[in-house]
Amino acid sequence: MKHLKPIALGAALLASTAMSAQAEELHFIMCGGEVREADQKVIDTFIVENPGVTVNMEAVPWGTCQDKSLTLAAAGDPPSVSYMGSRTLRQLANNGLIVPANISDEAKGQYQDGVLNTVTIKGVQWGYPHAFSTKGLYINCDLVAAAGKECVAPKTWDEMYDLAKAINDNTDAAGVGLAGKDFDNTMHQFLNYLYSNGGVVIDPATGENKLDSQQTRETLAFYGKLVDVAQEGPTAWERDQLKDLFNDGKIGMYISGPWGRGQHKETINQLVAPVPAGPSGQSGTILITDSLAVFKGTGHEELAHKLAQALASGDAQYELDSSWGLTPIMKYEELGVAAPYYKGDAFWEVFTGGISTGGPEPLVEDFKSLQSVFTNMVQGIILKEDTVDNLVTIAGEELDEAL
Amino acid sequence: MSATPNIGSKRKFSAMPEATFAWILVAPAVLFILVIIAWPLVETFRLSFTDANLGGETYVGFENYAELLDKQKFHDTIIRTFYWMGLSVALKLVLELIGATLLNAAIPGKGLFRVLVMPPWVIPVAIGCIGWLWLYNGYFGIISGVAQRIGLIDGPIEFLAHKTSAFYSAVVTDVWVGTPMVTLFLLAAMQGVSRDLYEAAWVDGASRWYRFRRITIPQIMPVIVSMALLSAIWTFNSFEIIWILTQGGPRGGTTTLIIDTYKTAIGNYKFGEGAARAVVIVILLAIFSTAYMFILNKVNKKYGSK
Amino acid sequence: MMDRYTRLQLVGIYAALAVFLTFILLPFFEMFMASLRPLEHLFRAPYQFWSDDFSFDAYRKMWVTVPLLGRYIWNSIYISFAVTGLTMVFVIPAAYAFARLDFPFKNATLGMFLSVNMFTGAVLLIPLYRVMRTMGLLNTYWAMIVPGVAFLIPTGIWLLRSYLEKIPRELEEAAFVDGASRIYTLRRVVLPLAVPGLIVVGVAVFIGAYAQQYLFAITFNQTRELQPLPAGLNEFIGYQSVNWNEMMAAALVGVLPVMVIFLFLQKYLVAGLTAGAVKE
Repeated sequence: MKHLKPIALGAALLASTAMSAQAEELHFIMCGGEVREADQKVIDTFIVENPGVTVNMEAVPWGTCQDKSLTLAAAGDPPSVSYMGSRTLRQLANNGLIVPANISDEAKGQYQDGVLNTVTIKGVQWGYPHAFSTKGLYINCDLVAAAGKECVAPKTWDEMYDLAKAINDNTDAAGVGLAGKDFDNTMHQFLNYLYSNGGVVIDPATGENKLDSQQTRETLAFYGKLVDVAQEGPTAWERDQLKDLFNDGKIGMYISGPWGRGQHKETINQLVAPVPAGPSGQSGTILITDSLAVFKGTGHEELAHKLAQALASGDAQYELDSSWGLTPIMKYEELGVAAPYYKGDAFWEVFTGGISTGGPEPLVEDFKSLQSVFTNMVQGIILKEDTVDNLVTIAGEELDEAL
Repeated sequence: MSATPNIGSKRKFSAMPEATFAWILVAPAVLFILVIIAWPLVETFRLSFTDANLGGETYVGFENYAELLDKQKFHDTIIRTFYWMGLSVALKLVLELIGATLLNAAIPGKGLFRVLVMPPWVIPVAIGCIGWLWLYNGYFGIISGVAQRIGLIDGPIEFLAHKTSAFYSAVVTDVWVGTPMVTLFLLAAMQGVSRDLYEAAWVDGASRWYRFRRITIPQIMPVIVSMALLSAIWTFNSFEIIWILTQGGPRGGTTTLIIDTYKTAIGNYKFGEGAARAVVIVILLAIFSTAYMFILNKVNKKYGSK
Repeated sequence: MMDRYTRLQLVGIYAALAVFLTFILLPFFEMFMASLRPLEHLFRAPYQFWSDDFSFDAYRKMWVTVPLLGRYIWNSIYISFAVTGLTMVFVIPAAYAFARLDFPFKNATLGMFLSVNMFTGAVLLIPLYRVMRTMGLLNTYWAMIVPGVAFLIPTGIWLLRSYLEKIPRELEEAAFVDGASRIYTLRRVVLPLAVPGLIVVGVAVFIGAYAQQYLFAITFNQTRELQPLPAGLNEFIGYQSVNWNEMMAAALVGVLPVMVIFLFLQKYLVAGLTAGAVKE
């Protein structure tokens, strides 16, 4: 009987720690209709390591997953961990809906440059970066050849315009695909050019609105030029539709992410190049991430952090990057991955090369208004409704209101 | 009304007073609605006086409304919404009357035709709109493709990319969505018109057009008028169609009140401001409906409910 | 004899019908074409009406891509029927009251019902979510049925009312003279005459239920097995691309049951039930 006491005590201690986690159900909302194997593996391991804890993983279709998390949070029933576009983090943080992420210094060093900027507000990280993308210019070499030009990556905006014009004039196709629809990637497409022109939207150090600038004017003016050699009615097109045009050989070039290679027809002879540089800058790209956010008010934030960390690191993260065809989010070669999918492939160098000169999607509280600012400006020049000067000035003012 | 109360008092079991009977019939519906919808409605009204957003809310009084009254854009949106409603409902009514008449004709195959009119109504609006989205596409769509092939136009026309063409394209799609239902309603109403009336007129030598004008229309007028109001309210609030086609663009060219409300409340998570817009919609529609009901009562008196 | 048309009139009617139906069915034609094309050839310019690689593959593959598709279709039908049944139970008595009887606050109540139409579900979503949660209805079939009924009752009353108004009062009065009670009159005299209107309103409610499902389903329900078809169609949307051909195939297949039901019902739209009952 005597041994029972320490055993009983030990059991009680164990029970009490398990008690605190007893019957805890974490609600994890992931985007994409099916539960991913890699995620399931992480969850299974997690459950074993944390007895008494279950994870309700919900795979919500892409169109509605983010809204679902937000609706739940707004109604007072937040999920534990959720896959969100990093652009939403500021609004969530400012409204006290999420808690800051616990990323150790060691972990911080493993991310590619600039990735953490997309989740950092005033020095605090608010999400675990989970998916990363950069952009490049896809060119249809067959169309270039048909236009009588050499298929060489344009390095400057002038070269790009000349190439597009040649295609536009000498073939049936339009030179370039321009996105102008009331959709988020209109802003992203524009920012690719802006960041390749040394432009800044929000100063990372001071948080100041720097949109109204010479660089922005140049970029918008270039857009105006591109309209003349672009497909009909850019205001009805967004990037995903441009892919269809590209596949059908109706546009000579357009900007997209690394997944483009898988989406384009094999019969097209394509060349991928970094975004051409504008007169005032170097070739850059927009850095976009999606993150795992831990919501406040679930009562088990600590556990949620652990789950998020497990999902967003190591093998699980590598598997996501490689299977989704994304720009690598961490420096996997330093982490000891033997033959990372992006090394030694000229294709990937286009997308990894621009990381250091790239800029983040601006992190503002009201990201929809931010989008409207850009959409308004871009559509204004496409529809030729106003001058470059006016449009940029108005955009600067509207951005002030949104901040 | 009839002399029911008198009759009732003569019988062994007295008939209930009319009002009580009526309330017994109506109460369940009223209660159901009150329980499910009343609170959200009140809540929306309350929210319109706050600056509620994702983080919480503070009372701001009439600030939201004042802001709306100030903005020129908002006034434009209101006008655009009424224009949208007016145009679409007018087109629909014309099309629906024609359609109902055609389907009412005693011709072989009419059963099949009636069924063929249904699809736009049955299919989820979103899917139908995606269909139209493809039709309107300048490069891949039928309309632009066929027009180019028969030489009507030179190059692709992107219907949804330009402000005016986008607006009218949206109207066409809205008409498409709304026509089948009312057509079938009018058809049912037409079917309910007693044949004797037509026969009497025919015997007297009345032409088809005369029969249509003097018998059909007056007989189904109550249905036309009440459908028109319903159609107007729905069209005013028609959301998915515009949202899927243009999201209110380009540059606000197709932004109606409901699009604006949705963008504010759900897009920007500004529940307070969104609620204010929703209340404005209700106020405008209430004024419109009251005016309309006034006319409807007059019409009922003129044509008489039998 | 009255229904005989001249040849010219017949041609005119058929021609007009052809134009009308072309307008109505054009998007479906497009969607059907889309469902036949393989994904790589979905978007092609200039527009081609026919191509060699048309096939019904999408119709086969869609069951694989979205395994619960059959369940979704069934859910849609079930929910729509439930909503319709429940709504009609509330609507029929109320519509009769508005059409025939006089009572205090009549116009006010009618106005109240009408005003529910003026709010769309989209705006009321979040407070509605809280109501549903408090009542414990989330993630059940009720989560989608109850709001549907609430939003359709006003429309149903409004529509049925105008049909009932047209039924000759003399018939009811005849019944009263014969000693019938109010309920009896309603049940045995009025309702049979209102059948065309009832059917049309019933169908309208059914389809309205079908259309509204989407919003309520994605907000109030998380259980995949209970999702109706419109929400299920979302699953054809991938990370970077959409399986349009399969989605269209699924949408068209989902619509078929409703069409069949209506095909069966449309015969009842033929009235003539009042013919001869009352001589004007």
